[in-house]
Amino acid sequence: MSIEVRQISKSYGSFQALNDVSLKVESGELVALLGPSGSGKTTLLRIIAGIEAPDPGGKILFDAADVSATALGERRIGFVFQHYALFKHMSVFENIAFGLRSKPWRQRPSNAAIKAKVEELLALVQLQNFARRYPAQLSGGQRQRVALARALAVEPQVLLLDEPFGALDATVRRELRRWLRKLHERIRVTTLFVTHDQEEALEVADRIALMNLGKIEQFGPPEEVYERPANPFVYGFLGSYNLFHARHDGAGRGQGETPPTFVRPHDVEISRDNADGLGIAAKVTHVGFAGAAVNVELLRLDDQQHVDAALTIQTYRDLALKAGDQVFMRLRNPHSFYEDYAI
Amino acid sequence: MSRAATLQIRAAAAPPKAKRSAVGRLLVAAAVIFLTLFIVLPIANVFTQALSNGFAAYWQVFFPPATDPAAHLTLFEKHQLADQAAHTWSAIRMSCGIAAVVVPLNIVFGLVAAWAVTKFRFRGRVLLVTLIDLPFSISPVIAGLVFVLWFGRGGIFGDWGTRITWPDPASLSWQGFSGHWWPFTFANSYTGIIFTPLAMVIATAFVTFPFVARALIPLMDSQGSDEELAALSLGASGWRTFRTVTLANIRWALLYGAILCTARAFGEFGAVSVVSGHIDSNDTIPLRVEKLWDGYNMQAAFSVATLLALLAVATLIIKAAVEFKTGHDEAAASAAKE
Amino acid sequence: MARANRVIPGLPLTLGYTLFYLSLFVLLPLAGLVIKTTQLSPREFYATLADPVVVAAFQLTFGASALAAAINGVFGLTVAWVLVREPFFGRRIFDALIDFPFALPTAVAGITFSNLYLADGWIGGFGEHASAFLNRLAGQLGHPNPLPEGALSWLDFPYSNTNVGIVIVLVFVGLPFVVRSLQPVLQDWDPEYEQAAYSLGAGGATTFRRVIFPALFPAWLSGVALSFARAIGEYGSVIFIASNIPGKSQIVPLQIVIKLDEFEPAQATAIGVVLLFFSLLILLAINGIEYWSRHRSQAV
Repeated sequence: MSIEVRQISKSYGSFQALNDVSLKVESGELVALLGPSGSGKTTLLRIIAGIEAPDPGGKILFDAADVSATALGERRIGFVFQHYALFKHMSVFENIAFGLRSKPWRQRPSNAAIKAKVEELLALVQLQNFARRYPAQLSGGQRQRVALARALAVEPQVLLLDEPFGALDATVRRELRRWLRKLHERIRVTTLFVTHDQEEALEVADRIALMNLGKIEQFGPPEEVYERPANPFVYGFLGSYNLFHARHDGAGRGQGETPPTFVRPHDVEISRDNADGLGIAAKVTHVGFAGAAVNVELLRLDDQQHVDAALTIQTYRDLALKAGDQVFMRLRNPHSFYEDYAI
Repeated sequence: MSRAATLQIRAAAAPPKAKRSAVGRLLVAAAVIFLTLFIVLPIANVFTQALSNGFAAYWQVFFPPATDPAAHLTLFEKHQLADQAAHTWSAIRMSCGIAAVVVPLNIVFGLVAAWAVTKFRFRGRVLLVTLIDLPFSISPVIAGLVFVLWFGRGGIFGDWGTRITWPDPASLSWQGFSGHWWPFTFANSYTGIIFTPLAMVIATAFVTFPFVARALIPLMDSQGSDEELAALSLGASGWRTFRTVTLANIRWALLYGAILCTARAFGEFGAVSVVSGHIDSNDTIPLRVEKLWDGYNMQAAFSVATLLALLAVATLIIKAAVEFKTGHDEAAASAAKE
Repeated sequence: MARANRVIPGLPLTLGYTLFYLSLFVLLPLAGLVIKTTQLSPREFYATLADPVVVAAFQLTFGASALAAAINGVFGLTVAWVLVREPFFGRRIFDALIDFPFALPTAVAGITFSNLYLADGWIGGFGEHASAFLNRLAGQLGHPNPLPEGALSWLDFPYSNTNVGIVIVLVFVGLPFVVRSLQPVLQDWDPEYEQAAYSLGAGGATTFRRVIFPALFPAWLSGVALSFARAIGEYGSVIFIASNIPGKSQIVPLQIVIKLDEFEPAQATAIGVVLLFFSLLILLAINGIEYWSRHRSQAV
């Protein structure tokens, strides 16, 4: 089932949460709505779900059928809330069975069918032994999976997840997002999830819609968004960077009204020698050890600008850097944006 | 911070801390004495006075020795005790009857109002909550007064309220189908509204009106609507969502609100006193206590008062249990969010 | 919180029923009071309220209520502080008992307080009871009756049928309001603030006056105002302990009841509407205090 959002706006009083947003998600895709807080990503998700109504004028289409006026319960969506909203007084089994038991009695499956379906879902989320537990007796990651199973029980056309990993700690997050990726490969339900974590979006999603101030800044596959950011906001949101306002020799552009250039720290190459003569002389001011990477702070000797570089631990060992060393740096992969480079 | 500075702060912090425990002891003593004088002694006194002539005398207030061949009572005394007990039982029945009508009404209202006020945002919402609280801030005597003004002699629209006739639902009886299309009849009817049980029901409803809503609104506000939205997104109807999700989440608070409402319905004095017209058959338990007290029958007054005091004790016990229960749930819920 | 105006069902039904029921049982009756007031001539209104007996009743009600609220302000704060901050044996039981004045019907409170402060009651005749007890104890030890008659009469507090008794029961009915307003604030209060004050060299009294009390003030004030509001409307408990002498010891609600018993609904209305006006004024003030304190805590 594809989802199409056409010219959706939403304002709360004078605050414009969404400003004329359009988006088309193909059937079976896994799409991340990525953006800082207040960018409107959760509002957009809730409008697609039918939890909130957009301002008049916009449209939501599921497979070309207009569902703008369809009630929440009839859109056949599965919604996973940020804090899961599990029914506290029901066991895991009853939580998952809730949607099936809520069907009009003519369509309601028999108890045996419900039991079979819930067991199948419990197996899918790897919680076979937890059917009798209550939500309060589960860990955060387990609750997340129950919420997902509950949403899947009614066989939704669309799965919507609000910050699915937001309330979990770092290791569980990493584990769960890989699991979600695999789950999606198995069930192939069109899925939208909201996140503010760019790493999560890049790793999990087929495509990323990057949002800011109620607008979609760029919509594309992770590689495209990362490698060919549409504007400085997208570039800046996806990772840390160095900003060069003046000319730099590596890019080979003319002087004068050159727009600023962005370079990622891991694209700053450091060497001891300057064989090709293109290196920029710099001094190491600080070396910060951060596990797999080593963050090196440099001071350019020509214009006294500070530059951050990220080296692999291997390169760092080979170079044997320490504070005070004089080195040469080269910039790989610089980005310039010719219009609207205010950031 | 240097070590010297740290030490200085420790030194500065230490003396008041040591001093505070002496002050603390003083405060504990003051609080305990105050609470003993103002709460513990008065409660203890109710039961002591009720039992001041022994348990048998206490028992006789409710169950007079009509068939008991207790020789030390004269026939007149026995008759008097029986008469008193009959009045007391009539008051108990009246109080139960009023509560049986008023409490369900206010439970339904409390649920509906709490749903309207916590699940939706609309203009005037805060004003509505304030209005629901209004009966708390109004003297019960004024609650009685307004109904006298509506229904009584010399009221707002003249004397219509004193002429209207209505059947007594308690006197419903079977008359069969012979010659009637409707097999029931009312043996008694009332004329007028004020000084009848109907006025007492209305006045009690006014006074006990906010209790259930008040117990539910803060809880439902803090719980938010996510669980309801989840249920709706799974295809549940509004009614099913309310029944299986909302009601289950608020059941303890609802119980507590209902108990408070019941306790207040039984205990209401001012409003009911004004509209009861001091007619013996209209007496509720508190009005019965007043009559016994005014008749210098102190031991009997306290004996009847023990019924209300026990209801108050039960209310507090249920409140503590509910708080323990919801505190438990909340602790689990907050642990869940971490 | 979610703005879910459209999604959650039942707004027209529930709001409609709420307004209907509210109007039927509360607003309409109160409107009756206002309508009746407009039917009074200003002279009648003034004559009722200028009656010295009525004036005395207002003075007594407001005076006794203010005094009771002030006593609750001091002891309610002490009790709330102790219940939150000073663990002692039986704290949980005392904590549960705070709600007793809410739960206990006023008539029962009235008779038991009245009885306690009678000349031979536990408190009213405390000196007498104490000397009898001590004499009996001494007699067991071989020194019969060392205390002469009336030696401990200074320990008697026979306040039944006095206006002091009125204040005592009003303290009882108002106590939970102050304690229950303060408790949540005290529970959220982080002792680090006091420790910070001590670390800056402040003493216990200064810390309380400058750091703790200002933080508690809005809750304290609204608790005191609530207990005052409850006290001016209180009827059931007061009439049992007061001597109810016209012009001396009749409270305003009793005046209303008396006017109704005398078939003077117009006069009862005049008194009632003034009392209602003050109740609403206090309610408004309490809402104002709460609004102000929410605003203040948001600004921090």
